[in-house]
Amino acid sequence: MKFQIEDVTVYFPYDNIYPEQYAYMVELKRALDAKGHCLLEMPTGTGKTIALLSLITSYALSKPSNPIKFIYCTRTVHEMEKTLSELKLLHNYQLQHLGPAAKILALGLSSRKNLCINPTVVSAENRDSVDAACRKLTASWVRELAAENPRIPTCSFFENYEKSASEAILPPGVYTLQDLRAYGKLKGWCPYFLARHMVQLANVVVYSYQYLLDPKVAGIISKEMQRESVVVFDEAHNIDNVCIEALSVSVRMQTLEGATRNINRMSQEIDRFKATDAGRLRAEYNRLVEGLALRGDLPASDAWLANPALPNDILKEAVPGNIRRAEHFLSVLRRLVQYIRGRLQTENVEKEGPVAFVASVNTQAGIDQKMLRFCYDRLHSLMLTLEISDTDEFLHIQTICDFATLVGTYTRGFSIIIEPFDERMPHIPDPVLQLCCHDASLAIKPVFERFQSVVITSGTLSPIDLYPRLLNFNPVVSRSFTMSLTRDCICPMVLTRGSDQLPVSTKYDLRSDPGVEKNYGKLLLEMVSVVPDGIVCFFVSYSYMDGIVNSWHETGLLKEIMQHKLVFIETQDVVETTLALDNYRKACDCGRGAVFFSVARGKVAEGIDFDRHYGRLVIMFGVPFQYTLSRILLARLEYLRDTFQIKEGDFLTFDALRQAAQCVGRVIRSKADYGMMIFADKRYSRHDKRSKLPGWILSHLRDAHLNLSTDMAAHIAREFLRKMAQPYDKTGVMGKKTLLSEADLEKMGNSNLGEMF
Amino acid sequence: MADKQQQVVVKRARHKSSVKDPGTPGVLKMTKDRFTFMANDPSSPVKLNVEFRTIKGHKFTKDGTKQALLNLTQDQGGNYIFEFENFPDRNVCKDFVASAIALSGEAGRTVPEKSAVPIQDEQLSAAEMERRIKLLQEDSDLQKLHKQFVIGGILSEAEFWATRKKLLEQNYSRRPKQRVALKNDMWSTKPLADGQSNRVTFNLTPEIILQIFAEKPAVRQAYLNFVPNKMTEKEFWTKYSRAEYLHSTKNVIAAAAEAAEDEELAVFLKQDDMLVNEARKKIRQVDPTLDMEADEGDDYMHLPIQDHGLPRNDNKDVLDSQYEPYRRSFSQHLNQHAAVVLQGRVIDVELGDTRSVAEALARTKHAELAKDASDVYLDKERLERISRMTEIEDLQAPRDPAVAPLSIKDPRDYFDSQQANAFSTLGDTVSGAKQLKCSVSTREAYCSLKECISEIKFQGLTEPTINSEVAFKVLNGLAQNISSNKYHLGRNPNESILDSLPKITREELLLHWSSIQELLKHFWSSYPITTKYLLTKATKLKDAMSQIYPKLQEIKESVQSDLRHQVSLLVQPMLQVDVLFGNDKWSF
Repeated sequence: MKFQIEDVTVYFPYDNIYPEQYAYMVELKRALDAKGHCLLEMPTGTGKTIALLSLITSYALSKPSNPIKFIYCTRTVHEMEKTLSELKLLHNYQLQHLGPAAKILALGLSSRKNLCINPTVVSAENRDSVDAACRKLTASWVRELAAENPRIPTCSFFENYEKSASEAILPPGVYTLQDLRAYGKLKGWCPYFLARHMVQLANVVVYSYQYLLDPKVAGIISKEMQRESVVVFDEAHNIDNVCIEALSVSVRMQTLEGATRNINRMSQEIDRFKATDAGRLRAEYNRLVEGLALRGDLPASDAWLANPALPNDILKEAVPGNIRRAEHFLSVLRRLVQYIRGRLQTENVEKEGPVAFVASVNTQAGIDQKMLRFCYDRLHSLMLTLEISDTDEFLHIQTICDFATLVGTYTRGFSIIIEPFDERMPHIPDPVLQLCCHDASLAIKPVFERFQSVVITSGTLSPIDLYPRLLNFNPVVSRSFTMSLTRDCICPMVLTRGSDQLPVSTKYDLRSDPGVEKNYGKLLLEMVSVVPDGIVCFFVSYSYMDGIVNSWHETGLLKEIMQHKLVFIETQDVVETTLALDNYRKACDCGRGAVFFSVARGKVAEGIDFDRHYGRLVIMFGVPFQYTLSRILLARLEYLRDTFQIKEGDFLTFDALRQAAQCVGRVIRSKADYGMMIFADKRYSRHDKRSKLPGWILSHLRDAHLNLSTDMAAHIAREFLRKMAQPYDKTGVMGKKTLLSEADLEKMGNSNLGEMF
Repeated sequence: MADKQQQVVVKRARHKSSVKDPGTPGVLKMTKDRFTFMANDPSSPVKLNVEFRTIKGHKFTKDGTKQALLNLTQDQGGNYIFEFENFPDRNVCKDFVASAIALSGEAGRTVPEKSAVPIQDEQLSAAEMERRIKLLQEDSDLQKLHKQFVIGGILSEAEFWATRKKLLEQNYSRRPKQRVALKNDMWSTKPLADGQSNRVTFNLTPEIILQIFAEKPAVRQAYLNFVPNKMTEKEFWTKYSRAEYLHSTKNVIAAAAEAAEDEELAVFLKQDDMLVNEARKKIRQVDPTLDMEADEGDDYMHLPIQDHGLPRNDNKDVLDSQYEPYRRSFSQHLNQHAAVVLQGRVIDVELGDTRSVAEALARTKHAELAKDASDVYLDKERLERISRMTEIEDLQAPRDPAVAPLSIKDPRDYFDSQQANAFSTLGDTVSGAKQLKCSVSTREAYCSLKECISEIKFQGLTEPTINSEVAFKVLNGLAQNISSNKYHLGRNPNESILDSLPKITREELLLHWSSIQELLKHFWSSYPITTKYLLTKATKLKDAMSQIYPKLQEIKESVQSDLRHQVSLLVQPMLQVDVLFGNDKWSF
């Protein structure tokens, strides 16, 4: 269908639209018109993504003279794929109605690991080794050598891509990662470098948060994005955590050992160059004197991860004189590593600010703040000069330099925490030094400054007024939408006790109580016999999940559960978890039915949908509080209290409940879908906890469902499932329309539709 | 028949008394009802003139083998072997013989005393015969019935099989049997320890062995490698059980220590490399919208804590890395188990023979992985699935009926077997009745359903369709009647007294039940009695039945008094027909 929102003709690939999708688009359009940032919360299961894509692409189409770029950030690669396939659907529709004028170029971008098609490179273990393997074949000095000596291997895909030069472009269309690989294979071009090149020209770019938020990555990928861009952070309820992590570094004993090895290797290399090609080192020195930390015209294949500090905070001046010479720089690094090693020897937990740390480095190791600050750039320059291609071996020294640069650059919003051992296992020494960022607004600040509109959206952004404070920005639009439902297709329940009326909870004192474990097991057993197809269970941590599943196994409860459904479980091994998920879906597809055990805050909870028959019921066992003994968390809480006057307890509850809401929210995809949510912990019945849940869940949480026991819950589940299985009128009942057609929209006009909501 | 040249076949051949015999060269001539053989040497004593009626079957050597032989087996056990000059000649004869036997075979086989039966002209091919014999061999109940009635002269062969046409057809088309899923039951490693000694007993059945092989490819591989060359089957399983026991004690160090001493034991104790490799291959096939492994490629943080706020890796442990291979997590086992159950029974071999099970599994696995390597079709299917998944269902009119066909090979069989379950668990569902699958395609069914609904929408419901309770009762009644076979008799909870009867009595009862069923079936199928033949048949059947009644009576009296009432209740439906006979005036 197509319709008008003020002056923009919106192309929407379906015959009908939900009223809240329409309202969402209206708000979004206002934000785009105002060229400002916005914050929008809309419940899951209302087609947020397609509404976003549809409005922004239509908006861009309606203003051909001044095209805007659309940067869509997802948290994970699989969400990227999902978004791109929705975009594909939309694009096909627009092509049908607008013809060639609607042609756009949209592509996803990921690392070499996901895009490389060179079989020898891509078989490497992890991202770093794939990157290094690629570098070994494509770095400019390797290719120079290969030109003289044909026995030195190069990558044919990259060579072909280079040869085609300006002809190597992607024709318009929507490209998922797989499409990119397929196209690369077809043409014999390297898909990774092709994609990186095309990102500058594309109308729509879909990539991971880190490509904008992590300065190390953003510096090489997103440096040249135009200001006239709309940046969307989807599923952004955790964006503050991503921002913080982008500026955090941790150093362990292994890092130091590795760094020492790296330094030794570099000093060997320097000696070798001195003997064979001294001019090269001198050239570097001269360049540094002139104030150029880096050669400006680095070929893409040589580029390494960029400076870990934010672009505005990087000093634009010459590298200090005392680290210009390679040997001097190495000795500085040696001293730094030695100093950190000394600090790690501590017996007690230590916490200090960057200023104190830098002062102590200065007095004890003789390295001043400015030298620290230039560590990263100097290292980068040296690595290029020494023509080091196996970058994966040099991760350790890189980590040290990242740490040095960050600690030298920032004075506020960070702290350095040294822990000699893990809190839970005090007898095992495992010292770690962490530089943690507490201020989420730091990493996202350049994004807000650089781009004209930044949209932050998710299904759970409650309380919505907290996010502008955490991220320190002024949204022109900040709204939370409710869900207009044709029928009560979600059924949240709070279960506080088992059939034996004993309370259930994952509170510390009750956690390992066999009675609670049994009651939780009985709850699941009751539910697997009632609920068809898929059931998802979330636990508060891996260790708790392993413990309780083992105990269910020993008591025979698991066996009884397995008589009804297959059981799959999330593990810390991603490959295994992915396969388990795939099998889980297959089991739901074929009607066998299955249960998936997962962990709140885990990878599955973050991004996998359990919509339709993949999840008819979600059980949240316990309240997923953060691990409160963590020093980092305590430091962050302190910072939040001092800076934003947010109480620790409030923040912890807010954080736990947003995770819980996120877990249960995965169950609904559209209004034709239905699902139940059980919050199984007595603490959910308390008002201060419960009220932090998003409005769309609270509005369905009836008073009668606030304090249930297992048998009552099973009864409600039976009733609910029977009711949901009945046919219903999709367009809405009793005068309230929940599904609008093109005609409806025209009839209502823009003016009075605003009043509907 | 159109092809006239087929009426008579004349070929050169040698007649042999046995395969080794050099044979007598001569001419073989075949006509529709007989074949003759004349030796080239007129003085030779070999001269044959045999009717096809007496030939039971024929065998032949494969094309391209050393000799082109045709072996005709006679009823009385003799046989005629012919060697032809070449295979085409032999094949012509072979085909001719086959059709000739089919034409006259049945006539030759029928027992003389039954030749009066009018259904005489049914011609049976040898294949048909074989099928029947096979059926009888497979099903002992059927064999009993056959013995009782056909050999006993109450029914003719043809009559007996006439009611089982379906059974024959089914086998003919070699329809796959309804596959039974694997049990979703983890072989609990809980060993049976008797209190006194230190002995620990494990219980292995062929079913469990299949499961172990499917879930643990390394064990399967070890079995193929070790047994029987290196150790006996018993030793193998003892060793395996030992490993399982070590795992169940969760003592990693002890496991490592034992493994160090015994390299064969180590195979069981170490992590399964084959599984790991398999996972590597499978991950490439996974739906990209699920692929969490790809996320690692975009992770530039290198932070120990990537799961916001989750405590650090829990299982980081005191132990050195040397014990790492011996650690096995329960979750891994759980996932692997569920995956195997989901895949179902991939092999179709007799479970008793462990070696062949292992080999078959290894073969299927191998084929599966080889196929995976480059399947464009799979890729396409996956893409389609993703695009289907991304659509929001209720914003759009549905594209396809959202129904999946049930994988039921024989509705009747399935229905019967479900019936017993359905009655015991019949809460408020009518699942038993729902399973009936009709022959229309899903699309047709869906369309017609849609039509019906739109019709009702248009006209409105003038009167309520059927009250659901009434409908349920009717369905229930129907279901009960349809499936009143012996399964039902045995499994109906109301009649569980069968279990309390002595085994012999129970079996006898069941046997009589099935005989009566059989007789009744034939009895009613002969109505209306219009011909003399049918009358004699009905009388014969009635007599046979009345012979069974006193036996039933005997059984009734033989059981203990407290059970007698229930047994008589049980026997009653069998006797009801007797009452019917009594009232029947035989009016014709």
